[in-house]
Amino acid sequence: MLQWDPFILTFKLATVTTVILFLLSVPLAYWLTYSRYKIKYVIEALVSLPLILPPSVLGFYLLLAFSPQNAFGKFLEQYFDLRLVFTFEGLIVASILYSLPFMVQPIHNGLKLLPLSLVEASYTLGKGRLTTLLRVLLPNIRTSLITAFVLSFAHTVGEFGVVLMVGGNIPRETRVVSIALYDEVEAMNYEQANLYAVTLLLFAFLTLLIVYLVNYRSRLGKVI
Amino acid sequence: MIEVSIKKKLFSALGKMQLDVEFTIQEGELVTLYGPSGAGKTTVLRMLCGLSSPDEGRISVRGQPWLDSAKKINLKPQHRDIGIVFQDYALFPNLTVKENLRYALKKDQPGAIVSELLEMMELTNLHDKKPELLSGGQRQRVALARAIVRKPKILLLDEPMSALDTTLRLKIQDYILRVHEQFKLTTILVSHDIMEVIRLSNRVFLMDHGKIISHGGPTEILPIESLKQMVGKLLD
Amino acid sequence: MKKIIFLLLFVITTTFLRGQHSDAILIAAASDLKFALDSVITVFKKANPGARIEVTYGSSGKLFEQISQTAPFDLFFSADIEYPLTLKKKGIAVSEVYTYGIGRIVIWSNVLDPNKEQINSLLDKMVNKIAIANPQHAPYGRRAEEALKHYKVYENVKSKLVYGENISQTAQFITAGAADAGIIALSLALSPAMKKLDGHYYVIPGNAHKPLEQGFVILKKAEQNSVAVAFKDFVLGTEATKILGYFGFNKK
Repeated sequence: MLQWDPFILTFKLATVTTVILFLLSVPLAYWLTYSRYKIKYVIEALVSLPLILPPSVLGFYLLLAFSPQNAFGKFLEQYFDLRLVFTFEGLIVASILYSLPFMVQPIHNGLKLLPLSLVEASYTLGKGRLTTLLRVLLPNIRTSLITAFVLSFAHTVGEFGVVLMVGGNIPRETRVVSIALYDEVEAMNYEQANLYAVTLLLFAFLTLLIVYLVNYRSRLGKVI
Repeated sequence: MIEVSIKKKLFSALGKMQLDVEFTIQEGELVTLYGPSGAGKTTVLRMLCGLSSPDEGRISVRGQPWLDSAKKINLKPQHRDIGIVFQDYALFPNLTVKENLRYALKKDQPGAIVSELLEMMELTNLHDKKPELLSGGQRQRVALARAIVRKPKILLLDEPMSALDTTLRLKIQDYILRVHEQFKLTTILVSHDIMEVIRLSNRVFLMDHGKIISHGGPTEILPIESLKQMVGKLLD
Repeated sequence: MKKIIFLLLFVITTTFLRGQHSDAILIAAASDLKFALDSVITVFKKANPGARIEVTYGSSGKLFEQISQTAPFDLFFSADIEYPLTLKKKGIAVSEVYTYGIGRIVIWSNVLDPNKEQINSLLDKMVNKIAIANPQHAPYGRRAEEALKHYKVYENVKSKLVYGENISQTAQFITAGAADAGIIALSLALSPAMKKLDGHYYVIPGNAHKPLEQGFVILKKAEQNSVAVAFKDFVLGTEATKILGYFGFNKK
């Protein structure tokens, strides 16, 4: 019988992760674009790391870091009553790190393509950095923003290795669709497994379709 | 009213160059920076706005220091009372003509100036169009209008007409003159076009390799060969 | 636009306002118990309609690790009693450790009938890949390895071995055709899912490996949980014992 809990969990995880990721990534992408410090190349490489790192590596280090048996995990539990292993909150943190490049890179690439004269014009018209960002820069990279959002969301939906390591397989807490799928296959419930798999497949396809459409239309000159 | 003395080491495709420039401009003048590409003209404009900084130097406007490297004063562009028209116009693609102008308004500045400028530049019927729909000449006028919204004392124009054909150039020159007079501006123009320079400026600074070689009235300064060029054009 | 923001805020706030169910229990159980424990739980729920019980199946070693790292389970059913005993020593388990069965391993295949040649069927040329559970953290995998060594066939079959994450995945490998034969838990071979497949199994004699004493325990998290205690009692009772016996979990 198809359970809805994994879908709800996956949806919540992807939504919360994407929103928080957006709020973190805009300042980061901005800094990467306009900063003159050489260290930005190091940061850029770090940000891209999750793209090529095997998820189990990320998961492993996160597990070590968050474990209540180690210093950081203990600290979190003592002062914030927060546990990041085997919890939904832990998945959010892990997903943010795992999907970081998918949010930062499109925004960064979009900003890089904007003529610097736009920023300079805004400054000479008396506007500060924040106003320039909100009223000039972001509105002009709408396509990049959509791409970033959609890709990050979809990437989080598809997460498996990191989730398994950091979250375990706790029903209604960390058993997201990708894990539930794995579970059903192991238990040889192939029909249920297929339901989960087909849903994820359709979703992935739809995501890519949207991203391509948005980018195609923008190249044609339409705003969206 | 504008006193400038700046030095900077510059690197370009042509190699190293030492920018070393000193000049004074009186209020109400319309001055042109004239010279070959890479002479440093745009750099001077950028330093006046605060978009670039010299290695050392001083810039003061009406006695107020905008830049003083010895005293570590360097006003941000936001705090300099200056308007600039960029070579690529830098119009905000997401805003209409009117919104581009309104963006420039100071806090609590009445919006009447926007309609006044739209009318003056004959842009009123284009007010709700986005820049991508405008022609080169129209965009030029918007950029010029936007630079004036805040009623700055100084107007800088970085080769504003290089992308336009002759008839349009003449029109834009008219607008520049009109604006210069109406708003009592002190204007600095960067241009290669001799006709334009003669038509618009009180004074010309001839620049090459980062230095001002000579300055004076347009007809005294420009080399004889260029005058010949001008004659040639007139005969066409 | 505003609607989207509102929806997002709604999702975010409901995410962090999740109620706790104090009458629910979360069980960590060895994969070989999949069908047996599911049945026991179904019967328990009939007698206790309000109870909420969720199970996470996995290899005992993995679950042991997770529990040691504070995974929020209430009960732990392990295919190897050593794990719950260790948890008890560490103070993470709070009840006695109860035995629920002795695990047995079988050779299962749908490519040939292992009863004919018994242990030597693994040497048959029709058998190219043999699945066992990963001995590093799955008790059934360790016992499989022991049995192979006991019969001195380990060196011959070593190159044909593929490892499942846990005993369930091991079975799944064989049924899906990734392996031609394998050593799995008797309880899985007796399950409806596998019984209806076209396979045969041969029970490996118990003296070929260390006995696989299986035990369960209540964990610290469930110290005050009455449902956990009720469930423990039920498992030790006659009805549950019968069900477990049907799946091959006998206490002897």
